Amino acid sequence: MTLQISSLEVGYGKRQVVKGANLTVEKGELIGLLGSNGSGKSTLIKTIAGINSQTKGTITWNGGTDLTKLPRKDLAKIVAYVPQSIGLSFGLDIREAVLLGRTPYFGTRPRDEDWAHVDAAMQRMGLDELGDRAVTELSGGQGQRVLIARALAQDPEILLLDEPTSALDIRYQWQTLEVARDVTRKNNVAAVIAIHDLNQAARFTDRVVFLQDGVIIAEGRPADVYSPELIKRVYGVDVELSVHKGFVQVHPLSEHGHAQLGLQSGSSGPIREHRPVTQREYATA
Amino acid sequence: MSSVHSDPLHPIAPTGSKPQTDHYTSQKLAITIGFAAVIITALIGIRIGTSGATLLDVLETFWSKIAGTTPTDRATLLKHNVIWELRLPRVLLAILGGAALAVAGVLFQGLLRNPLVSPYTLGIAPAAAFGASLAIVLFGATAGSAAISLVIGALLFSFLNTALVLSLASARQLHATTLILVGIALSQLFGALTACIQYFAEDEVLAAIVRWTWGSVNNSAWYQVLALFVLLALAFPYIRFRSSALNAIAFAGDDSAKSLGVAVSQVRLQTIAIAATLTAVTIAFTGIIGFVGLVAPHIARLVVGANHRFLIAFSAIIGALLLVIADAVGRLVINPGVIPVGIIDALVGAPIFLYLILTRQKAIE
Ligand SMILES: Nc1ncnc2c1ncn2[C@@H]1O[C@H](COP(=O)(O)OP(=O)(O)OP(=O)(O)O)[C@@H](O)[C@H]1O
Ligand SMILES: [Mg+2]
Repeated sequence: MTLQISSLEVGYGKRQVVKGANLTVEKGELIGLLGSNGSGKSTLIKTIAGINSQTKGTITWNGGTDLTKLPRKDLAKIVAYVPQSIGLSFGLDIREAVLLGRTPYFGTRPRDEDWAHVDAAMQRMGLDELGDRAVTELSGGQGQRVLIARALAQDPEILLLDEPTSALDIRYQWQTLEVARDVTRKNNVAAVIAIHDLNQAARFTDRVVFLQDGVIIAEGRPADVYSPELIKRVYGVDVELSVHKGFVQVHPLSEHGHAQLGLQSGSSGPIREHRPVTQREYATA
Repeated sequence: MSSVHSDPLHPIAPTGSKPQTDHYTSQKLAITIGFAAVIITALIGIRIGTSGATLLDVLETFWSKIAGTTPTDRATLLKHNVIWELRLPRVLLAILGGAALAVAGVLFQGLLRNPLVSPYTLGIAPAAAFGASLAIVLFGATAGSAAISLVIGALLFSFLNTALVLSLASARQLHATTLILVGIALSQLFGALTACIQYFAEDEVLAAIVRWTWGSVNNSAWYQVLALFVLLALAFPYIRFRSSALNAIAFAGDDSAKSLGVAVSQVRLQTIAIAATLTAVTIAFTGIIGFVGLVAPHIARLVVGANHRFLIAFSAIIGALLLVIADAVGRLVINPGVIPVGIIDALVGAPIFLYLILTRQKAIE
């Protein structure tokens, strides 16, 4: 009952970009895909979505179905994809932009059922308050929410999100990640999210996968796999780790060895307890 | 209404607002009204002309053709013949040509995801012009027998151009930018070839070439009306069937459209072939009528929105209206002379378009 990727190889022309990836995603599980720019995150996601085709390996669903051999339309009823960037050229209404998610389900005329999915997805992403504006009149973040709503309307079993939060303000970053996790749990979806924020990944995902140069070099629960060595290896940055409310957090160090964002290091081990600031402390600070 | 909505336990069921089912009342109304407007302007357009026929004469002509009767007196017979052989094909060619160019415009703009694209972006017009010029040089500048060779020359090179564009761009999976760039290159090539012919041509031939490039419905004939009608009647159901795929390509982009289950390259190839054929056949009959294929889609988007399910039909209506009216104006202004429809079209259309760009930004963005 899983999404199973086995020895997957993908390339552009002669260049291999994903080199023998193995990955299993359970239903109801949200996987964070991490890695530096150009490490192959988008390529991997697009291959699962059937946009790129693999040169080797298989992608199976539910133990049997080979997704790479499925007709496009059937694949689209299983897998939904939220692209990394948006390019909007014509002023389609928000509602109709979300309706695009129903494309694999109806012919020329959307049915009541399709509109019901559209309305539900719009409400979930807080789009109904934007009225019937055209997508060209939206801010980058609002447009991103339209894309996520489109994927939700697609009613997928596998949800792929390529950096869905990079254009969003903090409120919608959190809301989007919460929606992603909610959908994963409630609709029992297998979800993969490419994300750059290690702290948010630790906070919201069940497991993370580190991709480097097209190879998966680490995988597991954030608290288990995050280590200063790994992060140094992937991003070339010295960091310090802490635990905040049970979630592991990453703090880049400046040249002087202090966490740039933390209050003060001064601790001995790589992981230190990060106490939440209380109301009183905040007031007297 | 639907079970998803009434189910209070459904985690993502919206509350309050009633689901909007598939109404699109205003779009359907606009198309109905537009269709009626085309018929009315057509009837007026048939009337306008040198012989001063009345609306009754027009209807009488229809009736006698349907009933198969021939009027007894010579004056009526002459009037009927003028209406049937000259006015009617002319107006119908304007309607069908306008519709075909507008539909091609919508398809090209959507498929190439670019509002600045017209039916001529892939270089069909310069190619057709070269074909027509070649025919004029080879078979002489006079009308009559030359007319059919002009049509064939223009058609041949339009198709050659389209085949070249598609096969060259398919090396890059028919990406929108590649198609546009290949189109630009071939436009330049055929433009230069035509310029060569013009450079060495005699005055008479040169005049004929220039006259062809103005674009008009002056040489309309029933076979042309019939050909375009059949073409549109075949193309339209297919395009309509593809309207949601077109929406996905135009509004979500190639990658997302693929993830929405659309066979992007296949749809793009088929639809471009259709749009190119519509364009090629139309301009083979009329010469290069500019503007309508660019502007009609934009005007239509302002009225019915960007959804191709309605946009295609309504663009066809706007295109038809633009050309019928432009042709009528062209026949009225210097009566009994005729200004080619391609010229009036741009003269009248440019200010309208400018007005729309500057006041209604939404549709052009
Ligand atoms: N369409 C393409 N054609 C050729 N090479 C490509 C294409 N798309 C990506 N690449 C290359 O493949 C490699 C992986 O790119 P990919 O977009 O998968 O990285 P990514 O991990 O998503 O990066 P980012 O964090 O910047 O989004 C890069 O080196 C990139 O240059
Ligand atoms: Mg990426």
